Amino acid sequence: MTEIADNVLSERPAIDRVLEQSLRDLDIPPRPLIIDRIKAEMGSASPNLRYVGQLISVDVSLAAGLIKTANSPYFGFRNRARSVHDALLMLGLDVTSRAVAAISLRQALPNNGQLERFWGASAQIAVLSSWLAQQTANPRLHAGDAYTYGLFRDCGIAVLLIRLPAYRQTLERANANTDLAFTAVEQQDFRTDHAMVGCLLAQNWWLPEEICLAIRHHHDRSAIDFFDSGLPASSRYLVAASQTAEHIVQQLTGGSRTQEWSKLGSSCLRLLRLAASDLPELYRGAEAVLATVD
Amino acid sequence: MIDHPYRPPPERPQRYFDTMPVADPLLDPITGFLNRKAGLRAAAILVAESNTSHTPLGAIWVDIDRFRQVNESFGHRGGDRVIALIAERIRTVVRHQCEYSRTGSDEFVLLVPAIDHADAEQLARRLLVEIERPLRIDTILIRPSASIGVAINQIGENPIALLERADRAMVEAKRQGGNRLVMSGDEPLTGRLGVHLAREELAIESALHAALESGGLRLDFQPILSRDGRVEAIEALMRCYANGQQVDPARFIPVAEKTGLIVRLGEWSLLQGTRCAARLCRQGTPTKLAINVSRAQLLSPRFIQALHGALICADVPPALIELELTESLIMDLSETVQANLRTTREVGVGLAIDDFGTGYSCLSNLKDLPATKLKLDRAFVGVLPDDRRSFAIVKAMTRLGQELGMIVVAEGVETCTQLAALAEAGVDASQGFLHARPMTEDALLAWMKQREQK
Repeated sequence: MTEIADNVLSERPAIDRVLEQSLRDLDIPPRPLIIDRIKAEMGSASPNLRYVGQLISVDVSLAAGLIKTANSPYFGFRNRARSVHDALLMLGLDVTSRAVAAISLRQALPNNGQLERFWGASAQIAVLSSWLAQQTANPRLHAGDAYTYGLFRDCGIAVLLIRLPAYRQTLERANANTDLAFTAVEQQDFRTDHAMVGCLLAQNWWLPEEICLAIRHHHDRSAIDFFDSGLPASSRYLVAASQTAEHIVQQLTGGSRTQEWSKLGSSCLRLLRLAASDLPELYRGAEAVLATVD
Repeated sequence: MIDHPYRPPPERPQRYFDTMPVADPLLDPITGFLNRKAGLRAAAILVAESNTSHTPLGAIWVDIDRFRQVNESFGHRGGDRVIALIAERIRTVVRHQCEYSRTGSDEFVLLVPAIDHADAEQLARRLLVEIERPLRIDTILIRPSASIGVAINQIGENPIALLERADRAMVEAKRQGGNRLVMSGDEPLTGRLGVHLAREELAIESALHAALESGGLRLDFQPILSRDGRVEAIEALMRCYANGQQVDPARFIPVAEKTGLIVRLGEWSLLQGTRCAARLCRQGTPTKLAINVSRAQLLSPRFIQALHGALICADVPPALIELELTESLIMDLSETVQANLRTTREVGVGLAIDDFGTGYSCLSNLKDLPATKLKLDRAFVGVLPDDRRSFAIVKAMTRLGQELGMIVVAEGVETCTQLAALAEAGVDASQGFLHARPMTEDALLAWMKQREQK
């Protein structure tokens, strides 16, 4: 976490009481049916892109979001997508289903101004994680998974902010604490933490177990440090990639008030087989990648 | 005179070496089995025969467990005696035509022509039993054991490959702790989450992952009615579907336990159950929801965080949630489990003991458990009202539960006469087909709404 917490903390418009009530009444969103349909097409022998395109086009904001994704310089296509069908052809079904998940998650949770920057930070971390996955060329670290993971990793924070008005102060203290794990501070106040809540949400969205476990343990140093911690190797790589991505974002956007990199950084670099001296080069490369995310 | 062509060699003193019989270059002197070199040659011949005659050939690799300790305690002579005695036992067990060989200090390989998978397994089991019998060396009784790997040759396989498969199976048997048998092909493989699984478990694991990633889990709901007809609670029952077919819990639960996926299944139920409780609240029919919890979940130090996470996500008062524990769970109340159960109660979440009466729970554990509800196993209910002894037990258990401050519920009520007998026994509430079958969430919401309007 925590680039994200910074953003949430820096902007605190008073939420209207009525709006607050309506947020509290909100049910935890299930995974949108459209993702299941796309997955079903992916599983068939000859996927029907036209059919998937029609499904996506029904939801205008989803269609617009997908076209924007395809045109993002991150993917480096020379052609520009003008329709959902173009975007589908360019991205393929796998990336499409992940992009749809990203857009839907954002739509599903209420989107008042203060969460807007939260999602922005998540998107940066997601793109940078998947870029790191490509850079390290680790066969157990799949770039698509790293992207999905980056988006969902901190979604627990969004839900806790909606449900618990006092959570904002807890976030501040968790960010500042140099001794305890981030989640330990949250547990003192609420007997739960954003990693656990995020894991529950990811399960609710039928994400693969490796991603759910990586969300659950992303502040848990012993789980990522030891190969026999019970956490699958692929989950540990996901945690390492996203924590490193977050650190890079913080470096490039002018530092942060958080302590996570000092607690987890060395473990992450070791897992990714990077040295601290590799970081400056990564900062430069990442800057170009981040310029493509808005 | 012709000299005799033969001249005796000059006399020399007899040495110790000369008293030894000449060793057969093919046999192991201690066991009389073929030695390693001869054993390999025999394997080559038998495999070739088996390949041409298309009859199976079994390779049984026997490795004596902890043999180094025997050598260290009794010296090499003692070790040799143990090997000789075990070789004798092996010879008595095998009634098939067989080539015996000793391939290493504590290793034997048996090659059995014309034996199939099942017979070879049976033979290897008999070997295990026979080798395990206590054995006397000097005045000390030791209990030897062996790890056995068995491979049946596949037509066209070369002898080295066959022996390697038997050896790998033996190594696996050793890894599992020794004194056991592993058939080649049954060695565990690594599953997706890095856990060792047998071949058929691997298939179940991948079906489970498929279910988890394609929305293959579902909760069904069954109401529990109190004596006066109110809905006392609703139990959530998990169903698992893979590739459009329901998966039998008896098949997937053991694999889920091994891989740790059981925690995910439990937490998924927890969140969906609390969400359903919240929906019931929102439609104006707040009802207690009972969610099943597994042993693995309660053993996890993060159980309380998961419970609170679900309560907060769903935004539901803790008093509307009840966790159901199976009786087997209370048999073994570890520190973590007890602490988790205590905290659960402190928060205000209820605790029910499921399927009570048929397991082995002892009453002292019942005393220590902060449970709020006791659910009597359906086995007692099915035989009511005719079985007076069952009736007496139900009555006594009901009294016991109520005296401990619990609500007592009977499971599996199917007829009106059963219900009347339960009322007579003093049971507080009941659950079963008589009241309602398990139904989907939407059906439940409608069912509750309809009752509300009446």
